Amino acid sequence: MKSEGFRRHGSNSYIAEFAENEREILINLTEQIIELLAERIDHGHEDPLAAMVGITTHDSPPEDEVLHRLLPNAYQDQADSAEFRRYTESTLRNKKQAHAMAMRMYLKSAEDGVIDLDHDGANAWLGAVNDIRLALGVRLNVQERSQDDLELLAPDDPLRGVYIVYGWLGWLQEGLIAALMDDN
Amino acid sequence: MVKTETQIEEEIRAIFSGDTPWVTIVWDDPVNLMTYVTYVLMELFGYSKAKAHELMMKVHTEGKAVVSTGSREEMEHDVARLHEYGLWATLQRGDQAL
Repeated sequence: MKSEGFRRHGSNSYIAEFAENEREILINLTEQIIELLAERIDHGHEDPLAAMVGITTHDSPPEDEVLHRLLPNAYQDQADSAEFRRYTESTLRNKKQAHAMAMRMYLKSAEDGVIDLDHDGANAWLGAVNDIRLALGVRLNVQERSQDDLELLAPDDPLRGVYIVYGWLGWLQEGLIAALMDDN
Repeated sequence: MVKTETQIEEEIRAIFSGDTPWVTIVWDDPVNLMTYVTYVLMELFGYSKAKAHELMMKVHTEGKAVVSTGSREEMEHDVARLHEYGLWATLQRGDQAL
């Protein structure tokens, strides 16, 4: 990885330069998140009017562990949580997708690899990068594994590459936050 | 548990008088960076860096922290915004055991 991460320029500009392979990795990850967050298909049980205003018929948490972490329960109580989910899950999916789509657009249009974010763009990036890290974190099982375990993954372990990307995204996120908090 | 009439009356009074605030709780999570949690609390709630940092440290050391207090609707709004940015948050009545 070659990028030096984000630096602040002036009052509302956060710039980073990415190598072509870095840009490709980031585009690929944003596309995976966008796809993952696409609506659950309910085989025609959806009330079209309810769907239009963001009410869904499903109120159970997603079965997929990654989606469950991205769309968590709002209440510890199951019944309250189900009710809340019915009215809000669709909106949450859309907002998270919007962050990932904004990040993807920045990357797609930066053919020279230079990304220049304003404050809102930076927040969308942070949200999207964080969602990607949450998803990779579930795959890496960071909940159960210690940092040492992860550092010691064998070079031929398929999770090794995931862990390297996960670490790199954390570093990238840290740098952007530092640039944003510069004036606080 | 079956509620006595007195308990029900008390609950109804509490709801209408609005004196039982609800709380938003952020839970510790091994993925979210400490600086990120601090930054999100500053952005969403307008907290100073010092206050956001203190709340983040509480989440980190105690496993959870109350980050905002208000009506149920307000707390649902806060939880939704925290979920948008990937923080692990729930809401509950303020008088429930944390």
